[in-house]
Amino acid sequence: MATLPDAGSPLTDADTFTRKTLRRDRWLGLGSFAAMLALWFAVTGSGLWPPLVAPTFLPSPVAVAQTFIKLATTGYQGHTLLHHFLISLMRFGIAFAFCVAVGVPVGLLMGMHSGVRAVLDPPIETTRPIPKLALLPLFIIWFGIGELSKTIVIAAALFPLISISAMQAVRAVSVRKIQAAQSLGADRFTIFRRVLLPASLPGIFTGLRVSVGIGVTMLVGAEMVATSDGIAWMALTAADFVQTDVVLVGVLIMAALGYGLDQIFRWLERRAVHWAGRE
Amino acid sequence: MAIEPVDLAAPSRRPAAKLLVDGVSKRFGAGASAVDALATTHLAALAGEFVAIVGPSGCGKSTLLNIIAGFERPTTGRAALDGIAIAGPGRERGVVFQQGALFTWMSVADNVAFGPRALGQGVAASRAIAARYLDLVGLTGFANHFPYQLSGGMQQRVGIARALANEPEVLLMDEPFAALDQQTREILQEEIRAIWRRTGKTILWITHSIEEALFLATHVVVMTARPGRIKAAFACSFSQDADPLVTTTPAFAEAKRAIVGLLRQESLEAQRQEAAA
Repeated sequence: MATLPDAGSPLTDADTFTRKTLRRDRWLGLGSFAAMLALWFAVTGSGLWPPLVAPTFLPSPVAVAQTFIKLATTGYQGHTLLHHFLISLMRFGIAFAFCVAVGVPVGLLMGMHSGVRAVLDPPIETTRPIPKLALLPLFIIWFGIGELSKTIVIAAALFPLISISAMQAVRAVSVRKIQAAQSLGADRFTIFRRVLLPASLPGIFTGLRVSVGIGVTMLVGAEMVATSDGIAWMALTAADFVQTDVVLVGVLIMAALGYGLDQIFRWLERRAVHWAGRE
Repeated sequence: MAIEPVDLAAPSRRPAAKLLVDGVSKRFGAGASAVDALATTHLAALAGEFVAIVGPSGCGKSTLLNIIAGFERPTTGRAALDGIAIAGPGRERGVVFQQGALFTWMSVADNVAFGPRALGQGVAASRAIAARYLDLVGLTGFANHFPYQLSGGMQQRVGIARALANEPEVLLMDEPFAALDQQTREILQEEIRAIWRRTGKTILWITHSIEEALFLATHVVVMTARPGRIKAAFACSFSQDADPLVTTTPAFAEAKRAIVGLLRQESLEAQRQEAAA
């Protein structure tokens, strides 16, 4: 057999260039973050000089850190900080898990079968533009003031996102790849399991990452009424008492939650679909 | 003369045909917007023949291949393999596409092992088959790479190995080297010739390149502009030649000249159609 015309390391100069650029951009990102923090220190004084902004409006990072430690040790309004965090995580987690477990298969079915799509598309598409938070009062009437209505309002926001992205992912799978599988003797189930499903994963992941962001946002709405715990509830209640430091602790914890979840999904995405978009 | 006109659908060839295209035509759409992609076509390929089809863009040569592959149904007529009508895609007809048909989420070895596994072979047995065919196409060291880590030429080798791994009766190849650079293409052409000689497969090869057709095929079919039909067919002996530089001989140039002449009229007609559309 002849030798390979184009064998060799798949790594090229372009990759080294990319790696250098990546390293530079990481430092630039860190620098930008540090600058924001420095600005916060500067305008609030942090006890080193008189604050330019009244602590009622913007407490210093040091004060926020102290409040965090205080909340973490003594809790807020009868619950530990960990409890507030976990109950919020649970509300999001259950809604998200439900949407993944049901929305992804529903979306895949819609993508593969025009009959299923014809049945499910109208209910999903007609309810999609409704702001789901507006339905919260209705959900409270229907499902009570307990956990169920809060979980449902979050799920209602995530379900169309996740199912539609799964549907579009399946429909975007190249016909050639399906034909290739067919002419290799694969039956319908094999084509689904080994071609359609993996080929749809990048699109599904995109939908999941978008809905993580939206789900954390929905927490704020879900914990606005008929609650006495949760991180968003803590921030909202503290605002009533102008406890700006507590509000900021709540906001930062939610930011960290959103960021952390996004990082987890990025990591999963890199591992599961490292081949995405590369033909 | 190294090419001789031949009637590929001659009655003498039909009973022995491995692959028979019997009055196949294809019309897309209906009513006023209907497009005749392929006019009634007859073709018989015997076992071990390498039939190349050349024609202008849009002449329906890929449609013909898709019908034989079972991806599309003919509007009239039928295609048959060993006398059995083709009703859909099947493992006895291996297909190699131009590009973009590899399973990007699988390693090279898993791509090649896909067919054997789909046919019910165990993982270990399929892997062994994949290793054998990767060896055949010169990709032994690349089993655990992913397709995106390979060059275009290497990806096409994977596609060829994947199609061969199921030991199909015929190989259907739809412009497999069209996206490759000239040097890579020439090397792969020599390799596909070696593989064809070694395995004795019946091959149907769609191409734009007259040179490629003459170099590889035992029979060259020239198609007309849309709706495509067979304009001429030739038996061709360059594929038997041991000389890898046979394409530079006067006989080759003469044969190429004859086919270029035929194809030129059709390409002009195809361009005229495109401009009118």
